[in-house]
Amino acid sequence: MIGPIAMAVLAGVLIGLSRQVNGRLSLSKGALGASFWNHLVGALALVAAVLALWVGAGGPLWPTALSDVPAFAWAGGALGVVFVASGSWLVSRIGAANTALLVIAGQMVTGALLDTLRGAEGAPIRALGVAVILGGVALRSKG
Amino acid sequence: MADPASRPRPLHILAALGSGGLLSLMVLCNSTVTAHAGPFWGSLVPHATGTVAALLALAVLRRPSPPGQGAGAPAWAYLGGLLGAMTVMLSSVSANTALALSGTLALGLVGQAGFGVAADRWGLLGLPRRKATARDLVSLGLILGGSAILIFGAPA
Repeated sequence: MIGPIAMAVLAGVLIGLSRQVNGRLSLSKGALGASFWNHLVGALALVAAVLALWVGAGGPLWPTALSDVPAFAWAGGALGVVFVASGSWLVSRIGAANTALLVIAGQMVTGALLDTLRGAEGAPIRALGVAVILGGVALRSKG
Repeated sequence: MADPASRPRPLHILAALGSGGLLSLMVLCNSTVTAHAGPFWGSLVPHATGTVAALLALAVLRRPSPPGQGAGAPAWAYLGGLLGAMTVMLSSVSANTALALSGTLALGLVGQAGFGVAADRWGLLGLPRRKATARDLVSLGLILGGSAILIFGAPA
C-alpha cells in the first residue's frame, strides 16, 4: 500500500513542480510560450515512449481504438494549453500555494456542479463540501 | 519575501477557479482517450494536439518577444513537459490499485498543496519566496477539507 500511496502523492508533487518550472519559463517566454514548450517536450517524450513500447512488444503502432474516441475528447489538448498557460501566469503572480489551492477549489466545485447537473445523488453533502471550499477561497482573497 | 498583503486579487481568483474548471473538463477528455487507447496515447493525443493549438495561438497573438528570442531561461525550465507526461502515468497506475480514483485524487491534492507551501517557503526554482500566514493555513485546511467531503462524502 505504501507504493501506490507514494505514487499518488508524487503525482500531486509533480503537478506543482511542473507548474513551478513552467512558471519560470514564462518569465522569459510568456505564459503561452511556456505552454507551447510544455506540450512539445511532453509530446516528444511520449512519442519516444510509444515507439520504445512498439519496438519491445510489437503490435500495431497506431491503435485502431483511436478512431472510436468521441470527437469531444480531442479537445483535451486545446484545454490543456489554456490550463498550463494560466497556471504559469498565476504562479509567477500569486505564488505556488495560492495557485495550487485556488485551482483545486475550481476543479472540485466544477466537478460538484457537473455531478449535480447530471442529477447524481448526494446534493446536500456536495453543497456542504462546496460551501467549505468557498469559505477557504474567501479567506485566501485580498481584503 | 512577498508580504502577506500581496494576496490574490479578484482577477487572479477568477482566473484560478476557471483554470480548475478547465482541468475537470480536461480530465474528462483525456480519460476518455485513455479508456479507448491506453495511458500512453491518452497522454500523447492531448500533448500533440496541444502543441499544434499552442502554435496557432502564438501565431494569432503575436507578442513582442516570440519564442526563439528572449534569452534568460535556464535549460531545465524547458523540461516541465516531461513532468506532466510522467504525472499522467503515475496517476493512472495508482488509480488502478486499492486507492482507486478517489484516493488517488485526494492524495494528489495533498501532494500539490504540500509542494505549493514548500515552494513558496523556500522560493524553489527561481520564483519569489512567500511566507504562509495562519490565515493561509486555515484556508488550506478548509479547501482540502471541503475537497475531502466531496471526494469521500458523496454516494458512489
